[in-house]
Amino acid sequence: MSLLLKNKEGDKRLLMGNEAIARGAIEAGLAVATGYPGTPSSEIIENLSRISRQAGIYVEWSVNEKVAAEAAAAASFAGLRSLCVMKQNGVNVASDFLLHLAESGTRGGMVLVPCDDPGALSSVNEGDARFFARMLEVPLLEPGDFQEAKDMTRWAFALSEEIRNFVVLRSVTRLSHASGMVSLGKIPRGRTQAQFRHAGALLDPESGPMISCLPGAPQFTHRRQQDKIRTAREIFETSPFNYYEGPRRPEVLIVASSICSLYSREAIAMLGKAGKKCGLLKMGTTWPLPEKFLQKHLSSAEKIVFVEEVLPFLEENVLMLAGRWTRGKGPKSYYGKNSGTLPSYGEMNPDLIAEALGKVLAVRRRPVRPESFAAKAGAFADNAAPRRELTFCPGCPHRASFWSIHSALKLDGREGFVCGDIGCYTLAAFPTGFNSLRTVHSMGSGAGLAGGFGRLRAFGLRQPILAVCGDSTFFHAAVPALINAVHHQADLTMVILDNRGTAMTGFQPHPGLPVNAMQESAPPVEIENICRGIGVETEIRDPFDLKGTRDALLSFLEKKEGARVLILRQACSLSPEKKKKNSFKVRVDENACRGERCGCNRLCTRIFRCPGLYWDNRKQVARIDDVVCAGCGVCASICPAGAILKEDAV
Amino acid sequence: MNIFGPKELMEDVILAGRCTGCGACVDICPYFGSHMGKTAMLFPCTIARGRCFASCPRAEVDLDLLSEKTFGAPYAEVPVGSHRKIFVSRSGARIGNANYQAGGTVSALLSFVLEKGIIDAAVLVDRQEGLPRPRRITEPQEVLSCASSSFAAVPVISELNRAVRDGYRRIGTVATPCQAVAAALIRINPLNEDEFINPLSFIIGLFCTWALDLRSMTALFSGRGLDLRSVIRCDVPPPPAEKFEIVTGGGKHDIPLQEVRDLTSPACAWCPDMTSEFADVSVGMLEGSAGKNILIIRTPFGEEIAEKAREERYIVLDEIPPEQLRNLERAAAAKKRRALLKLKKEGLLNTAGKGKRACFRLRPEILEKLIG
Amino acid sequence: MKPGLKNPFNLIVTGVGGQGNVLASRILGNMLALGGFQITIGETFGASQRGGSVMSHIRISPGSTWSPQIPKGCADAIVALEPAEGVRVLSDYGHDKVCFISNTRPVYPAGVIAGGAVYPPIEEIRSGVLSLVPDALFIDATEEAIKLGRPILGNIVMIGALAATRLLPLDRKKFRVAADKFAGSDSLDYNLKAFDAGRRLFQTAMSRRSRPAYPVTRRS
Repeated sequence: MSLLLKNKEGDKRLLMGNEAIARGAIEAGLAVATGYPGTPSSEIIENLSRISRQAGIYVEWSVNEKVAAEAAAAASFAGLRSLCVMKQNGVNVASDFLLHLAESGTRGGMVLVPCDDPGALSSVNEGDARFFARMLEVPLLEPGDFQEAKDMTRWAFALSEEIRNFVVLRSVTRLSHASGMVSLGKIPRGRTQAQFRHAGALLDPESGPMISCLPGAPQFTHRRQQDKIRTAREIFETSPFNYYEGPRRPEVLIVASSICSLYSREAIAMLGKAGKKCGLLKMGTTWPLPEKFLQKHLSSAEKIVFVEEVLPFLEENVLMLAGRWTRGKGPKSYYGKNSGTLPSYGEMNPDLIAEALGKVLAVRRRPVRPESFAAKAGAFADNAAPRRELTFCPGCPHRASFWSIHSALKLDGREGFVCGDIGCYTLAAFPTGFNSLRTVHSMGSGAGLAGGFGRLRAFGLRQPILAVCGDSTFFHAAVPALINAVHHQADLTMVILDNRGTAMTGFQPHPGLPVNAMQESAPPVEIENICRGIGVETEIRDPFDLKGTRDALLSFLEKKEGARVLILRQACSLSPEKKKKNSFKVRVDENACRGERCGCNRLCTRIFRCPGLYWDNRKQVARIDDVVCAGCGVCASICPAGAILKEDAV
Repeated sequence: MNIFGPKELMEDVILAGRCTGCGACVDICPYFGSHMGKTAMLFPCTIARGRCFASCPRAEVDLDLLSEKTFGAPYAEVPVGSHRKIFVSRSGARIGNANYQAGGTVSALLSFVLEKGIIDAAVLVDRQEGLPRPRRITEPQEVLSCASSSFAAVPVISELNRAVRDGYRRIGTVATPCQAVAAALIRINPLNEDEFINPLSFIIGLFCTWALDLRSMTALFSGRGLDLRSVIRCDVPPPPAEKFEIVTGGGKHDIPLQEVRDLTSPACAWCPDMTSEFADVSVGMLEGSAGKNILIIRTPFGEEIAEKAREERYIVLDEIPPEQLRNLERAAAAKKRRALLKLKKEGLLNTAGKGKRACFRLRPEILEKLIG
Repeated sequence: MKPGLKNPFNLIVTGVGGQGNVLASRILGNMLALGGFQITIGETFGASQRGGSVMSHIRISPGSTWSPQIPKGCADAIVALEPAEGVRVLSDYGHDKVCFISNTRPVYPAGVIAGGAVYPPIEEIRSGVLSLVPDALFIDATEEAIKLGRPILGNIVMIGALAATRLLPLDRKKFRVAADKFAGSDSLDYNLKAFDAGRRLFQTAMSRRSRPAYPVTRRS
């Protein structure tokens, strides 16, 4: 039985942050969970989808985050508890609806979980979703450890029902993707009957229609929304998720939220004796801020250090309040991102914080290891640990696709370019994809930008324009852009890299597949039917057929007018259907590989550079690494000497 | 010869606009490709001395050395290049009356060498859906289906490279002047490779004054509502017609010749060769007499083939009238002078100095005579 | 609970995307949690899986939750599924007394495959590491896993080797329970074989050298 359903109260388990959040929702009696995959958020919905049947919950990978938020809100309107999960960028997509939802309010408890990725470890940008909570005027919770991830999630549903609005629970990569011990709580029994009550009076929160605003009358809905946030502030004043630890009158008071509270605690320990002069005010409810609670603790120290990821959200909101408290007492010293004590980009870690505290306290840390070791090991690593750039996996269809795209654009010879999008194939901006992408922004923006470029003929733009997007990205946000391109007669070739799933985040299904999040069969919406339905000439190829793909692209590029779609369909090499099932046994014929004497200039390892290939320096021939090779056989068709052989795998 | 690599080839030829699209660098390695008559480098290559550079007819071609190795004498100072004899020619009784352009000499000679097993494959230009494309043939009867001038830059030598890779070692080709230079360069093993075997048995050169790249040609045709795919053949009738004739399934269409000249590949402006001087034999139109060709015999082997083909009535040879010969020489000399002057002005002849590279090298005294 | 274990004991498992690093750290974490320890694991994965470095920080404590990132220079043990990654982590988090166990099988970075960067021979890595950490151990974990017919189980062989150091309470019984949670029932057997192979490799490696067995000098 899944850990998420173990009904053993008090049992202590090692859970990933995302599992803890999912467990918290289950303990709260969750009915509906929706989301769109995105690192580091995906495992929340994934874990819930695995137990959907046993738990009697409905779980959906929605087409995009806005639709996910709408689906979750509908459940709330019908009196159910719902969870909506996305990565930081997803909140941008959902924000239009969320801004309206915040004004209409909710009924059944609804919790929105955005997972930020400080340091952009798995993102194309570094966002801070907390600012949305302030703009949306809804409560914001930031769990500080794994236990809190579960407990605050469970509590968030109750809070949402108490104030009749949704609550934002923000996680970060180092909480979502880290694991820690969690003491399990009780799972409620029974099921709520769904019903949307709408016949009541216009402003009746229990039974009236759910309408976000009354034109020209913000004094009703908007004021009501702000009353809710005031209620939340009162509740937060006594929340157990905000607490102080340290001496009664610390020299330095650290105000930290989220995983930074663990880092700060560690940094204090790292400072040894000097650390004993530091106190930690750990904040779990960060919008609206509990003013009285903060005032009480901030008055205990003269030096305040804010520790948070990414932007100075907590810092600036506290300072805003502090402006009201000083009243001639003279300012305290505040340290954080605005003072330059800590950076306002990238991840935090204990070392950064210990260093910052050391500066504020004017003490020097005792080195943890001999300087000579650090210097010697550093010099050795510079030489012995070559940089590891990100690459497409062995057997990845994208490598083959971009091989053909790159070749076709070079052959075409008119400085054509590719507008990129979000997915594994974003790596095509780098050598692994032959530096093919020339623009990369948000989901679906490749098609939108290409459509924009495609209408610049009148201004003399003569370059062929390509857009790429993945299958999941196509459904998420590229369809409107493609429709726009068709209607406005933009000239572009759109390549849909269909690897049969949302591959980057771990193969979550999308509407193009015959299965849904709960592993039930579902009617697939075929990409080619959509494209042809809006009048686009559409071809489907196997990217492993390099010549066929290149020729199809060349012929599309030669056409001057209108939009065309080339679907390159081949499942991801890590997909469940392909993993560990090599199509071919690939090997290098040592006698046929002429090595440096061949005119190929090591095409396979130098340019194609699949990790499954390597160069044998001693024998001066290419080789296949059997442990790494995924057996796609594409390298066999690029070797001009025919030295790479593929045989059907048994 | 000074031989460099793909980097220099890109700089001197492709990016400088001097590439004729002959295909010499295409398909000998994976790095160069050809599309719509244009050559492109697909991926970066770092080789210092490459066959791509060595066989390029626009990069460091030592005309004297190439002549020495081809004809046993340095570059000739006559406008039509080294030759043994010049005839008026046409296809003979063995060939019949196919729909040839001009005299059918090329087809007749090709049929002859294929039938006699002198070559085992020929690479030439064919049309595929109206677009001129290189094609490899191995049977004499395939010759007829290819009998048409293209006036387009076609990477014929890339097909030669593919034929070599496929194991053919007695290949014939029908080549424009730039392609003939590339073919002659391939013959002389410029990189002194140990495993080298001359794959080229017979080079038939074509007279050429300019060529269009395929994109310009497509634009030209579609601008007149003509579908390139329906084109059967193109022709330039002798002066003073001043027109470009296009025969399609729907009939004959004329385009003023000047309009076509404006679209010719800029690379042709650097070409000093009208008569394919490095072929075994060269074939061109005989002005004023439809149905007849001029045949220039250049190498002893070319002479042997022509003689045998005449004996076996594949071709008919006649004396060339002196006036026709003068016209030919005048036209060839004019093209040569124009190109050499341009090359000289741009510092592309006998270029000296560290890191400097020439397009052609030839003895200065001969150069002076040719441009004088 | 093992008395006298440093609080927290800092273990780093490092490797390259696709080597089963995350799985290895989960199994280790669960084994230790079974032993009553309070575990925190910090992981880097996601885009990093695509050929990049993957590192797990495992904090082992008798009773408190530590940060998911280990401070620089503060690792107590480093398990490297890939030798160059071991060197990288050693430089950032290691010291001369760290327990360092590395697989010998390289996974070449794209830059090395392409020819721009150089990956030193394993002997050079070994001697360089030994000059920094005299007690470091190198074992042919992937080769051993290939012998089992499952090259991917190199990670489990390494867990076996770490268990054999007896630095941490990692016995076979706990391994069976933890591995059973993550491995399908058909592959549990292979996992156990790989675990045993790792223990064996460690013993062989130890018997070949003059220095005494782990645990060596323990830092306070």
